[in-house]
Amino acid sequence: MLNGHCLETSGNGSEMLTDAYRRYVGDYPKFFKMDGLSRLGFIASELILQRLGEERFTPRTDRAVILFNRSGSIEADVHYQSTISDPDNFFPSPSVFVYTLPNIVTGEIAIRNKYQGETSFFVLEHEDQPTIQAMIEASFEDEGTTSVLAGWVDYTDAHHFEARMKIIIKE
Amino acid sequence: MEDLVLELKKDIIESLNLEDVKPEDIDADEPLFGSGLGLDSIDALELIVLLERKYGIKLKDPNKGKEVFKSVNVMAQFITDNRTK
Amino acid sequence: MAGRIAVAIADNIISPLGLTSEENYMAVKDGRTGLARYTGQWGLPDPFMAALIDRESLPSLPDEEGLTIFEKMVILSIRQALSQCDVDVTSERTLLILSTTKGNVELLGKSTTQRCLTPSCPLLGEAAKTIANYLRNPNLPIVVSNACISGVCAQIEASRLLATGRYDHAIVCGADVLSPFIVSGFQSLKALTDEPCRPFDIDRTGINLGDAAATIIYRGVAADALPSGAWTLVKGAVRNDAHHISSPSPTGDGCYNALRYVMQGACEEDIAFINAHGTATLFNDEMESVAIFRAGLSQIPVNSLKGYFGHTMGAAGILETIISMRALNEGIILPTKGYECLGVSKKINIATESGHTDSRSFVKMMSGFGGCNAAIRFCEYQS
Repeated sequence: MLNGHCLETSGNGSEMLTDAYRRYVGDYPKFFKMDGLSRLGFIASELILQRLGEERFTPRTDRAVILFNRSGSIEADVHYQSTISDPDNFFPSPSVFVYTLPNIVTGEIAIRNKYQGETSFFVLEHEDQPTIQAMIEASFEDEGTTSVLAGWVDYTDAHHFEARMKIIIKE
Repeated sequence: MEDLVLELKKDIIESLNLEDVKPEDIDADEPLFGSGLGLDSIDALELIVLLERKYGIKLKDPNKGKEVFKSVNVMAQFITDNRTK
Repeated sequence: MAGRIAVAIADNIISPLGLTSEENYMAVKDGRTGLARYTGQWGLPDPFMAALIDRESLPSLPDEEGLTIFEKMVILSIRQALSQCDVDVTSERTLLILSTTKGNVELLGKSTTQRCLTPSCPLLGEAAKTIANYLRNPNLPIVVSNACISGVCAQIEASRLLATGRYDHAIVCGADVLSPFIVSGFQSLKALTDEPCRPFDIDRTGINLGDAAATIIYRGVAADALPSGAWTLVKGAVRNDAHHISSPSPTGDGCYNALRYVMQGACEEDIAFINAHGTATLFNDEMESVAIFRAGLSQIPVNSLKGYFGHTMGAAGILETIISMRALNEGIILPTKGYECLGVSKKINIATESGHTDSRSFVKMMSGFGGCNAAIRFCEYQS
């Protein structure tokens, strides 16, 4: 759903994200290296940013990316754990390990868009709007920040994820 | 050796999540790194894991990776010479 | 109410070097380290050097059954800090901010006979709630999970929220405990060394990790009511390289931008030292030297504390701030343990011996996975 309108997608669960990538992005093969949380945040951000009507991909330091969730990087954590659980099949995966930090999704968005401003990630036990709102408003204490790409981006597994993102502009 | 080269191409595509790349897209003599595949330092580390997991070769020094991963053919030769699995 | 400044009023460090900030600081002054070499630890095939806490030696807590080691360390640290001041942790005007990279991730590898193993157990927000409930704080705790810069970010977040006047105090606690998950992960990145780490040194070969919990309690104080001798958080910034998710920008963009921001309104002569991240990887230390050089700060003494504590991840930003404050209380610039010879491309001023300074301001900087960088400028208020 974008700006109140539904977008066409197909596929179940995480396949929907891959379908959305092919349909609406298509020019960023790094997408396929990302874990579920990063793919989710990446797609949500692309859908918004493509339609903002502003110049993209020029380095800027005034846009912050501030995201929240409840599940942290649990999908990547569980995946990484599976590469080390069996002592007879012990092959820790570096490409999975790098995603075992929820803030990586903010890094992926920053790299794609050349956002050199603040990137932050916070985990809350539940989605508490007053707390989130207060923190986003307080982020403008940084005088260099003129807008924030903010949102709740939560990915538990391939069939349980949600993202709600928006751009907030300083008055 | 040709079977190994094809096998290696498939392994590289799978373990490095090169979704839209097919084995025939990879030239076995072309440099793996610094090429159109867009591989980075994490990919190099993942290839080190592949060597150990599938072929039982433990690369202690990550810098040796630069020589070994020069191209698919170089990798295949290295595996042929050093595999324990 | 608005525009209040964050003032540090109490602190604690728990690490292999001690259970209080004082014990830890004295150990650092003595040149001691918590690092030791481990072979076969947790069944891991490759040896590593780390500062591991002896979990059995931690003091008991009342009703501690069911707490994980991570939660216990956080609570111990916060309680010790609270004992130094009159902050009411049960007040809704007291906010709890946690900084951690992996929290209770150890639970993923344990059998189901451990405390519980519902899917939510290893979650950071759950751990924070457990901690808040134990301390009887009524607010929803905030967990900062911004990789290794979390400890600096958590302090910046505290200063922002205190500035709004919504809270009077912020208890900022950073902690991480090592586990097979974390150590094997860093080993898979070939980022660790099994020798003592050598920040900025020409022979550096990588990181040592460390267990720790560290707490700073901040109070929001009006600008005209600052107590003399108080440590204030003047300016903080977080900036992304937008380069790579696990390698720093070779031109140190994020670090440079963060430094430039926090140095606004200050001059080089004011700053006693920069406490860098200094993890002793080839790329991190090189990048920090480039950023410091670009920011025109090459003359300022730079140190890294990783040789005493190891890299304590979520705790690092807070722990290293506390040690820096204590050092400057005595006018001391601490040396960089493990450093002998400059091994970065920019000629920056690495502190090699204990030095003296009359300045009462320092910069704490850090970098982390995801391309993030953060810096804070702290000043000791002189009326």
